[in-house]
Amino acid sequence: MILTVAEMSFPTGWIPPYNTLVVAAGVASVGFAAGVVGCFAVLRRRALAGDAAAHATLLGVGLAFLLGGGRRDLPLLLGGALSTAIAALLALVLIGRWTRTRDDAATAIVLGVSFGAGITLLSGISARGIPGSAGLEQFLLGHTAGLTAADAMILGALSLLTVALVALFLKESTLVAFDPLFAAASGWPVTLIDYALVVLVAVMVVVGLPAAGAVLVTALVVIPPVTARQWTDSVGVMLPLAGLFGLVAALSGVAVSSAVPRMPTGPLVVIAASILLTISLLIAPRRGGLARWLRSRRTVAAWAEGRLLEVALRLEAQGPFTREQLLAKAPGVAVDSAFKRLVRSAAIEPVVTRAGTDAWRLAVWGRELAAERSRRLAAWTEVLEAAREDARGHLTIDVPSPEAILGAARMKAIRESAAAARSVSGPA
Amino acid sequence: MSTTSAGLEFHDVTVAYGRRPVLWNVDLTVPGACLFGIIGPNGAGKSTLLKAALGLVPLAGGEVRILGAPLEQVRSRVGYVPQRESVDWDFPVTVTDVVLMGTYARLGWLRRPGPRERSLAAECLDRVGLADVADRQIGRLSGGQQQRVFLARALAQQADVYFLDEPMAGVDARSQERIFRVLSDLRAEGRLVVIVHHDLRSVAEWFDAVALIDMRLVATGPVAEVLTPENLRRTYAGRLDVLDEIGRAVAEGGRTP
Amino acid sequence: MMEFDSTHLWMHFWAIATAATVSAGCALVGSFLVVRRLSLLGDAISHAVLPGIVLAVLAGGRPGGAGVFLGAVVAALVTVWLTNLLGTHAGLAEDAGAGVAFTTLFAIGVVLVTALASRVDIDPGCVLYGILELVPFDTVPIVGLEVPRALLAAATVLVVLVVAAALCWKELVFTAFDPAAARAAGLPVSLVSAGLLVATSLATVASFEAVGAILVVAMLAVPAAAAELLVRRFHRMLLVAVALGVAGSIVGYLAAWHFNTNAAGMIAVVLGIEYLLAAILAPGDGIVARMASRESLRWRVACEDRLASLWRAEEGDAAALAPRTLVDRLAQARLVFGGRIVPGRAGGLTDIGREEARVIVRSHRLWEAWLGRHVALPLDHLHPPAEWIEHHLGAEVRGRIAADLEGDVGDPHGRDIPPEEFPRRAANEPTR
Repeated sequence: MILTVAEMSFPTGWIPPYNTLVVAAGVASVGFAAGVVGCFAVLRRRALAGDAAAHATLLGVGLAFLLGGGRRDLPLLLGGALSTAIAALLALVLIGRWTRTRDDAATAIVLGVSFGAGITLLSGISARGIPGSAGLEQFLLGHTAGLTAADAMILGALSLLTVALVALFLKESTLVAFDPLFAAASGWPVTLIDYALVVLVAVMVVVGLPAAGAVLVTALVVIPPVTARQWTDSVGVMLPLAGLFGLVAALSGVAVSSAVPRMPTGPLVVIAASILLTISLLIAPRRGGLARWLRSRRTVAAWAEGRLLEVALRLEAQGPFTREQLLAKAPGVAVDSAFKRLVRSAAIEPVVTRAGTDAWRLAVWGRELAAERSRRLAAWTEVLEAAREDARGHLTIDVPSPEAILGAARMKAIRESAAAARSVSGPA
Repeated sequence: MSTTSAGLEFHDVTVAYGRRPVLWNVDLTVPGACLFGIIGPNGAGKSTLLKAALGLVPLAGGEVRILGAPLEQVRSRVGYVPQRESVDWDFPVTVTDVVLMGTYARLGWLRRPGPRERSLAAECLDRVGLADVADRQIGRLSGGQQQRVFLARALAQQADVYFLDEPMAGVDARSQERIFRVLSDLRAEGRLVVIVHHDLRSVAEWFDAVALIDMRLVATGPVAEVLTPENLRRTYAGRLDVLDEIGRAVAEGGRTP
Repeated sequence: MMEFDSTHLWMHFWAIATAATVSAGCALVGSFLVVRRLSLLGDAISHAVLPGIVLAVLAGGRPGGAGVFLGAVVAALVTVWLTNLLGTHAGLAEDAGAGVAFTTLFAIGVVLVTALASRVDIDPGCVLYGILELVPFDTVPIVGLEVPRALLAAATVLVVLVVAAALCWKELVFTAFDPAAARAAGLPVSLVSAGLLVATSLATVASFEAVGAILVVAMLAVPAAAAELLVRRFHRMLLVAVALGVAGSIVGYLAAWHFNTNAAGMIAVVLGIEYLLAAILAPGDGIVARMASRESLRWRVACEDRLASLWRAEEGDAAALAPRTLVDRLAQARLVFGGRIVPGRAGGLTDIGREEARVIVRSHRLWEAWLGRHVALPLDHLHPPAEWIEHHLGAEVRGRIAADLEGDVGDPHGRDIPPEEFPRRAANEPTR
């Protein structure tokens, strides 16, 4: 259960969980929306532009605070934050257009200078002891304990609105993010859509501010999409998945921070998101580290077995062979265990002699396996010669059957075209 | 679909990056229904010419007409195959998703592709011989297959004029032949296909007409008339450094030496 | 507001000296980062050194001590390693990879600082924006002088950086501009890159106490980027960057003092203003210079068009056009004032004016002839490009075009191309 610090230290009796629940729901939807919106920032390689915008929010918070006459009205402060975030993005565009400064330096300049300006303004405000200014520092690293139910509702509503926009324009956003040139050529207003997506990121950065703080909110936009990408190859799945990861990260960060006094929310949210990412990097199917490792182990093993069978077939022409003879002819990684597996699966069987047991031969089944493998290799060679494009990406080290992968009809066509090519070039 | 006598016209087109001209006064008329090649050395402005036709780079001067009308009026009848390197192939979309993008312009805002678009996409994929990889992520295709995905997407645009930017770059002979065969079919259906191409050997075999480009139009017409040793020398050997020098002066707003 | 007694002045002096030293080191390293497009790295490292510093302090290191530097360098190397790992194994783009790595490390740092507040003497606020104002209070005696520890650390780092840069100057510059060629030439490129990495983390740690983790980003990137706009040669860029960094620190500190606010933040703001001024005022391609060059071109074109039009009128082709727009009128006045056009209503060309006009018309017709020969353009398409290019042809290129035309003295419209040299005496007689 999530309890804010204030409520935990509340001295008397029963506290209605209403506020806590609303805040939790609000933060959850912020995390969800940040993950969804972040997908396009990550796919479009704009992750750090969002960071520059995030660092600029502090200035806007300060300005809005002064403008509002010292009121700590959340919508007002966030409005200020949004305006400076967008101004920062605009500055990035202008630097790119008007100067020789390259993107990376431009990002660093906007980030550093706008953050400096924010810090200057906020410490100026606090040095003058303006009442109500004490809480402004919470926007640096995030602190959800001070959120009221009304605040959380506003954050939640904004988040849902953002998600709705992305869902509505999913087709257009995907097109522009994937291939802006094609999109422009077929008449889409690419610049408009592009800017709209960047502004949505700025909105999410601002909405995420109370939860994660200016310095780290970018992680809420970047890490969940990266995590989701590990699990899927489809934008349609990646978006909600990133949302889900963002939601879990935001909620767990908030929960832990409320249990530890003085602990800001932002870093915990980020760490939660990173833990999810680390797990995904390890166990995600296909792209995950574990899957890669297993795959490479499997193919290495299959290759070693195949090589052993191939060599065994040749050696057998001169009668039974010893283990050393076989391994010496087929050096490589993992041949030892491959030999053991072949023996266990009875593809290679011992020849019973009086002298000892180190004499082996191929069993009938092993001979079939070896023959099948060399047939497949020959077929793949043919495919490679006739149609390299078809073979690429299919011919793995464990030599699968080309018919199973390319289909019998395709193989027949390849064979025929290869035969035709031979008959043309043959006489010469 | 009917085609007017001129499929594509460049009237005195000049393109500048910043202020510096990279294509000078190209005046070129391409008849309808043919395979038309834009040929020239690296940095000659071939892709730039294509992008100028598609409105992807602003014109510093001149005018482009497609099917006798300005681009804006015929945008829906124009198909485009960009260079393969122009996108991130790790992007999480499947082959079918990419081909469906060809139908987006027709669908307009907000409407999603439905069963009709899906069957069109499947048909286009079949045409380029990729039906069996329809659900694969695009990064897990070979170079030639990726190029064919782009071609299928252009087919899904159901256009009358097709622009292809270096469709044969990094593509093996079999895929090349397959692509050329699809393009020939398009011509047979009465469509115009304009291709930026770098390989002189295959030009005579497939193209009807070509334009030799080197920062300006060197020659244009039927392949046999254009690919003369004299024209090729003027395109490939006789680099016009006058144009370079003037270009620099224009960019700086000054004068050449 | 603080009073102006001597103790306070000393305090401010030490703070300013620290800021300037820190800034100089950052500008030095930042210049290399900016030209190698590695500003991102500065951003990442500045965030990521935090956990390294915290753990080093936890292990008994003193702020500003060698242990802390070691911890920070290790943390920086871990970030870069993580970013690369995310790139190669998870297929992440560099920006996303760095974004993931440094936010995570920074978050861990902040959590450590907060959770272990009782055991680690680092203020979470200081992590973000430094405590330059408090630097003078933590001092060590050196030859009888109480020197702030932070200044000592920063000065040591600066000396190390300068010496290293001087020793490896050739390698650094070569790898900065063309890593591939440098590798081919047998330079230890990856060693140099690793060195740059270590240098960045040293500069970052030295600045940490004074300006915090994030404003270091500004100190690294802003003076270097501004210097890059101002000068073209790399060694000058280094000097200008350092000068801008130092000046920004001094002015920023004084401004912060005046407005009673955070010094590090104000330094970043002043650096930002420096960059803005550089972008606007840079000679050559600053915003002002570019606008000026565009206006002067417009002005020149107007004058030259006017002259050429009068020349054609003398040739008898058409009546000279009356100046219509404001620019045309101003050009006319200027030409009259400059003795190119005879004052008055009829306003023909003077001898000097005719000389200049002839060159323009020659350029125009040479270009038409050249286009006609090399670019298959129809006759009626020749005039507009020549109207544009005539203003950009110099004598040498005109000569080359004329040579290329092989003595053909007519333009495609059948008019003569005026010669380059023209005896002034004969100028009054039209060439027909």
